[in-house]
Amino acid sequence: MIRDLKRVRNIGISAHIDSGKTTLTERILFYTDKIHKINEVRGKDGTGAVMDSMELEKERGITIASAATYCEWDKHNINIIDTPGHVDFTVEVERSLRVLDGVVLILCSVSGVQSQSITVDQQMKRYQVPCIAFVNKCDRSGANPIKVSRQLKDKLGHNSVMMQLPIGLEDKHEGVIDLVAMKAYYFEGENGEEVVVKEIPEDRMEEAQIAREEMIDAASLFSEELTDAILEENDITEELIMQAVRTGTIAREMTPVFLGSAYKNKAVQPLLNAVIDYLPSPLEIENEAIDLDNNEETVILESSDFDKPTVALAFKLEDGQYGQLTYIRVYQGCINKGDTLINSRDGKKIKAGRLIRMHSSQMEDVEAIPSGHIGAMFGIDCASGDTFVSPKINYSMLAMHVMEPVISLSIVPKDNKAQINMSKALNRFTKEDPTFKTYMDHETGDTIIQGMGELHLEVYVERMKREYDAEVETGQPRVAYRETITKKALFNYTHKKQTGGAGQFGRVSGFMEPCEEEFEFVNKITGGRIPTQYIPACEKGFQACMDKGPKLEFPVTGIKVTINDGAYHAVDSSEMAFQSAARGGFLEAYGKAKPVIKEPIMKVVIETPNEFQGACMGLINQRRGIIQGSQEEGVMSVIESAVPLSDMFGFSTVLRSGTQGKAQFTMEFLTYKKVPQSVAEEIARKKLEEKTKKK
Amino acid sequence: MLKKDLILKSPVSKTIGIDNVKDGKFGAVLSRAGVGKTSFLVQIALTQLLGNEKILHISLDDSMEKINIRYNEGYTNLVDCIGYVDPQKAVRVWEDINPNKVGISYNESTFDTQKIGDYLKSFIKADLALPSILIIDGLNFDKDISDKLDALEDLNREFSIFTWFSMKIHREEELCADGFPIQLETYKDRFDKAVFLNPIEDKIEAIILKDGDRTDQKHKLDPATMMIVEYT
Repeated sequence: MIRDLKRVRNIGISAHIDSGKTTLTERILFYTDKIHKINEVRGKDGTGAVMDSMELEKERGITIASAATYCEWDKHNINIIDTPGHVDFTVEVERSLRVLDGVVLILCSVSGVQSQSITVDQQMKRYQVPCIAFVNKCDRSGANPIKVSRQLKDKLGHNSVMMQLPIGLEDKHEGVIDLVAMKAYYFEGENGEEVVVKEIPEDRMEEAQIAREEMIDAASLFSEELTDAILEENDITEELIMQAVRTGTIAREMTPVFLGSAYKNKAVQPLLNAVIDYLPSPLEIENEAIDLDNNEETVILESSDFDKPTVALAFKLEDGQYGQLTYIRVYQGCINKGDTLINSRDGKKIKAGRLIRMHSSQMEDVEAIPSGHIGAMFGIDCASGDTFVSPKINYSMLAMHVMEPVISLSIVPKDNKAQINMSKALNRFTKEDPTFKTYMDHETGDTIIQGMGELHLEVYVERMKREYDAEVETGQPRVAYRETITKKALFNYTHKKQTGGAGQFGRVSGFMEPCEEEFEFVNKITGGRIPTQYIPACEKGFQACMDKGPKLEFPVTGIKVTINDGAYHAVDSSEMAFQSAARGGFLEAYGKAKPVIKEPIMKVVIETPNEFQGACMGLINQRRGIIQGSQEEGVMSVIESAVPLSDMFGFSTVLRSGTQGKAQFTMEFLTYKKVPQSVAEEIARKKLEEKTKKK
Repeated sequence: MLKKDLILKSPVSKTIGIDNVKDGKFGAVLSRAGVGKTSFLVQIALTQLLGNEKILHISLDDSMEKINIRYNEGYTNLVDCIGYVDPQKAVRVWEDINPNKVGISYNESTFDTQKIGDYLKSFIKADLALPSILIIDGLNFDKDISDKLDALEDLNREFSIFTWFSMKIHREEELCADGFPIQLETYKDRFDKAVFLNPIEDKIEAIILKDGDRTDQKHKLDPATMMIVEYT
């Protein structure tokens, strides 16, 4: 692995579904000599793309797991993470962005900025990841890269700047005009591997000069030298422009836009040059950790010094045929084969055994993974998001943003063998994916799996069957309802049991009110009305009630409990007694605090041919959905809406039949909202039915 | 309570009259480009939203995002106009009325009443209340659009929905004999209401061109907010 970090790039490729992320990665690997034959994502030979190594990925033509790979271009090492586009697998995108230094944001030249591009953009903002844009599919009918660049400005607020102009579009797409070098690039040979540089066609010269001026104007904001050169009418060198664009891009104040068609092998090589020219090396990104031994103070990690104590983050786990494979990014120091590391989460020592770097499903053994690089370790027992450090320090990288699951499904193994295999599978999946959770419903004895959407759970059920030979029967998907209160209510509860033997006594008094946090506990007891040692027991008692709401037994959220009075008994009070008093207080106030049921509301975006726009909006109306707006974009319409998750089950079938299969939709969690009274009654009725059945 | 106060302060209350907003079939807000047709249409729509009605706003010029921004601005202007309002209350009212507005952005060439009809039918199918008014912003009245207006009249009949249009007029064109701009003159029999926004010095004069006995009334509006500044 290259130790000169200036020549390392850790990049991600992110975009909306079917924008061609995997196809682009496949071309990059081909041009950088990592693979010798191009396989299409949905190729006729059924091989599937190299990056889609999971059988299910190849079949469905979607990327589920991020595959990490590396390649070399112009004496630089590029580590690439190919990320899934489906929103249900969004945690994969989040994890990748956490460890990347830059992103190539792919946009379709016809569809432009789509719903998932917006989600990815928000994630990039959260982790402050610089990006360059690649407008792909310029060979498609209706391609309009200039419009897409404008959408980047209007919809995502990027300062997008065209770095190239297309030479021909749709079926006449031949190449690109480079506005920095002012040359025309054509891509010849069977797979576009020969880059032919020519002069810009005369009839395009004026247009190219105008676009170049616009680009230089935008770049000049980031370089005084460039501004001086413009004002003094000196020669504007390519280096000067590139340096200015690089500065603007790394500061996230500029998004250079490139274009081409990965599928038709057009303009992938200039994009690789752009990755090197404009995206940052690990040296240019500041990474932070917290020092657990020093009041959780923030420490800046020094990626340039390989002799510093090691700090690395595990961002992805995979269970391969040789045991657990842990993907790591090293931020400081160097992990050598045989090094002892500490997992700062649990303080456990681990030994770095086999170190590898990945090329999709193939691996290459390495002796060390130096700072700034992405690699993987074998046989380490850990969870995703763990930090590994040298024994002399106790740092932790900040946690990744992980969303709570919104949908659940009961699964029942078909036989005993399936039962054993199912446990193994669930154990692995929950370690790999923090948004996938599982628990046992003690009342029904069923295993419940929870996730971010129907597809998310569907994929795991399918993987259980294929990878673990665990056939399961699934129940109806269930929505993760919540309970909350809507007004303030007082409680004053005395727990008293003095019927022979050691008694129990505790009184708590105070109020509960709605709040933004999940649960908040405020102690305003004065004068020792409740002795300090019993206060944690009170909090525990209140918090225990949050797991199962008294109204319909859904988890309770958004409650602030304040205790301001109470009483104790010198002999009969105990922690147990105060926990019981708190539970009694909770129940007493809860009923008076107007409890309501809340349901997850999803942001649903439908893309449909214009002729089905009215019909699609109708489908949303029929599902208690609220249409936020609709926009025509060429021959397609985009409909944005907010719909309760409970009404979205089976929507893909309904949408398909209502639009002759021509519309598609994406769905992601938006917020929790109170359910209307009629629906609450229906939920209560179903709950009661279930209870009666169980009895 | 806040909703009622906002309705009373709306420029629509003074100029057109709240009960009169959807009385008939078609209404038009006329002016030259950039004077404030859309802002005034948004105020018309806001009175309906504040009255707990639904509205459908179709724009042939603005994107979906821009439509939403215009409503946001219109609401803020209206709230600012009544002096101090508890910001949380104002947000709550906005969150209550905003879901009742649907903004659709069409290209003029593909604008089709059939799609609107399909959408409105879905309300009936789902047993939901229909939008009370339809706003169509950006339709070009310089062309012959009789067919489109016929189709919209059909919608009006089928769904009892009143339609407000923006109507762009041109500086260089002279008024017709009865004082109407040519765009309105051509279709005047179809319109029950027409409000002309005329910039005068630093104000905008809203002149009722057509609305039964209200005709010829004039009101002055602040060009930045479209709120009433003087009642004449």
